[in-house]
Amino acid sequence: MNFEHCIRCTICVENCPVFRVNPDFPGPKQAGPDAQRFRSDREKVEDEWVLLCSQCKRCEMACPCGVEPAQIILRAQQRYGLEHPHSLAHLLFANNYYLSTLGSLTAPIANMIASTEMGKKAFRAMGISTHIPFPKFRFRKLHNENKNLNRGRRKVAFFYGCFINFYRPDIGRKIIRLLSSLNVDVVLPPQWCCGLPALGNGNLDLARSFAQKNASSLSNYIDAGYDVIYTCTSCGLCLLHDYPDILEIPQGKKIAENSYDVHEYIIKLINEGYIKPDFGEVRRKVAYHIPCHLRALDIGYPAAKLMAMIPGLEYEILDDACCGLSGSYGFKKSNESTAIQLGNRAVSLIKKTGAENIVADCGSCRMQLGGISGMTSLDPAEILCESLRITGKKSRV
Amino acid sequence: MSVTEYDVIIIGAGVSGLTAGEFLAGRGFKVALVTSGEPTACLSTGCIDVCSRDHNPLAGIKELPPAHPYHLVPEKTIRESLDNFQAAMLDMGIPYVGAPEENRLVLSALGTFKTSCLVPSTMEAAPQDAKDSIHIISFAGLKDFYPSYIISRRKNTKVSVYDAGVSSTMGIASHFEEKEFFEKFIIWLGKLDIQEDKIAFPAVLGLESAAEIVNTITILMGKPVFEIPTIPPSMPGRRLFNALKDYFRKKGGDIYWNWPVIGVEKSGKIIEAVTTTSTGRPNSLNGKAFILATGSFVGGGLTATREAIIENVFNLPVHVPGMRETWFDNDYFSFNHGIGKAGIIADSSLLPTGSPWENIFVCGSILADTEILKNGCGHGLALATAHVAAKSCMEYIR
Repeated sequence: MNFEHCIRCTICVENCPVFRVNPDFPGPKQAGPDAQRFRSDREKVEDEWVLLCSQCKRCEMACPCGVEPAQIILRAQQRYGLEHPHSLAHLLFANNYYLSTLGSLTAPIANMIASTEMGKKAFRAMGISTHIPFPKFRFRKLHNENKNLNRGRRKVAFFYGCFINFYRPDIGRKIIRLLSSLNVDVVLPPQWCCGLPALGNGNLDLARSFAQKNASSLSNYIDAGYDVIYTCTSCGLCLLHDYPDILEIPQGKKIAENSYDVHEYIIKLINEGYIKPDFGEVRRKVAYHIPCHLRALDIGYPAAKLMAMIPGLEYEILDDACCGLSGSYGFKKSNESTAIQLGNRAVSLIKKTGAENIVADCGSCRMQLGGISGMTSLDPAEILCESLRITGKKSRV
Repeated sequence: MSVTEYDVIIIGAGVSGLTAGEFLAGRGFKVALVTSGEPTACLSTGCIDVCSRDHNPLAGIKELPPAHPYHLVPEKTIRESLDNFQAAMLDMGIPYVGAPEENRLVLSALGTFKTSCLVPSTMEAAPQDAKDSIHIISFAGLKDFYPSYIISRRKNTKVSVYDAGVSSTMGIASHFEEKEFFEKFIIWLGKLDIQEDKIAFPAVLGLESAAEIVNTITILMGKPVFEIPTIPPSMPGRRLFNALKDYFRKKGGDIYWNWPVIGVEKSGKIIEAVTTTSTGRPNSLNGKAFILATGSFVGGGLTATREAIIENVFNLPVHVPGMRETWFDNDYFSFNHGIGKAGIIADSSLLPTGSPWENIFVCGSILADTEILKNGCGHGLALATAHVAAKSCMEYIR
């Protein structure tokens, strides 16, 4: 950890969305490098405010000196989690994967409970915010889908992530059809939660156990000649940055070297001359909200490059505002006000563009921005499908 | 055709990098800008210092020592770059006032005057002499802004303190953009019954809409209102950076954040690509020409070791001003530290002298002999040289 490189310029503080609206959080400079100088292995950590960091990584993107405040805080959060009892909400969200599996098995009942006033009251009693509706579980999860749709030379293992799997399997199916139409063979490897929610809720051991399972599964596919693609930018960030680093996964480097964002992968195929997609017209203006974790992936904005190839499509990139939800962060009662304030600000910037739809790569950004604005929010892959005239339904061949 | 093949790759997201990028992208070139972190412009006062040596900045430039890089830029280009900047900022909603023939003064947080040329409209009403009486509105707990400094230098000054509920620059600025907070604040301000000529604020009056906020308070109070730039976090610096960045993107440029260049791909006298660190596979961007706008020491363009001064990206030859003993003056606050002359020497197309490459151009504070503090020429020089470097790139590609 390179906290000694901090020159205290405060550029990170200017970029911190939480600091902007929550005076209880001392900001990335103080919570990160400044406090790190005083953290001792022999003393219990008492600074509960480390939990207020949403891990958006904007401070790391902004630091001109290569300091990683979010990483320093993430480690402090893990230590805090080790030394203190976890709140109910933290425990529930860390185990989001298991709960969602249950929710998806009992989808109609779970959704009904979550939407009633009683259910909402129960949520709030457990420390869970109900400022936007809880996402709806779907009965048919993605991994029950038919696998190979089209024989192609390129083979990818699709790490679809929990959001797609439990809440929006239809988008997952669209991505599979999109890739198949681009002559890519898609398989769905055995997979679990990437581990980020557990990490974000201070549960390092649980995160590591998820990561180990995923790593051995994905690693087998890579050895068999598959590239790994992900669609959720937070899963991607976890695979690429946290597996080799804080989670110390032995196959981490291999996974990082062979994993691609789905749009990054399509661009790679175009650059290599493997495909020449014939994008059809989509006459619309969209606001492209850049998820914080896409910024943090250091790959630029690949979906924007693809959208630029779509005739008639007008898009405006918005990458200054965090949506405020940050996965399970904004669903905790303690962060509710932060999430709402940030969400409102992001939405007001979106409304200024006069766009018809919101586009964002991250499911939780879409949930928050769509929920607050009432606008339709789409995954960039949905726009690509629309342009290539690919529907979510199975084609009869 | 490769989707990620660029005409020009700019390294550095400061005033010069973003300006060169906007110039090229606006003329139809495919431009990528890579940066490791945000620039020192965010820490600046947001004012465009052109040259502080004379009341007329353009005349001041003529008096600069012959080695100064300003002499590589025709006066027409300097004017053009400033006009262009003002038009761009107006377009982005942060108008700048001033003209290239006349410097103006900005009241500092110490009560002294800073000489600048183009200043944000929020500082337009700053007093230009000791006459005007001012009423400073400060905020409870706001760190690093002490009106007593100003009072000690200006007798006819009063202070009132408002409790905004938060004490950080960013937090207060954020509140000012909320309707409810603003209305409550205006009621409080009205009750003060201010008798002084002008009302001053530390620069915390919003982030996106500061110009409007200052106008609104001016109209409601019936008195000139102005902002006093603060030490970082500096809202005017951030507004400038945000506006330049959004303008560049509006013209069609791509930005790659967290992209420190750690290697280059080359062939003969040509740099073909730059690469960055990555946990995963190597990450590179191809370009036909490159603009180096990484700044000086604080910006990260240059590193000084015991023995030498190194240019961090392409290892270009660096002009070192004499032996190490001459790098620093005894007086810490001196304007005459020898190291202020360190940097890259370039010809009139801003191609570095002695460079083994023919497709790299430099601009901004990485240039040699700028002595930016002494000559008061930071952002102005950045704008002017960015235009020259961008034009050279255009000619090179053609």
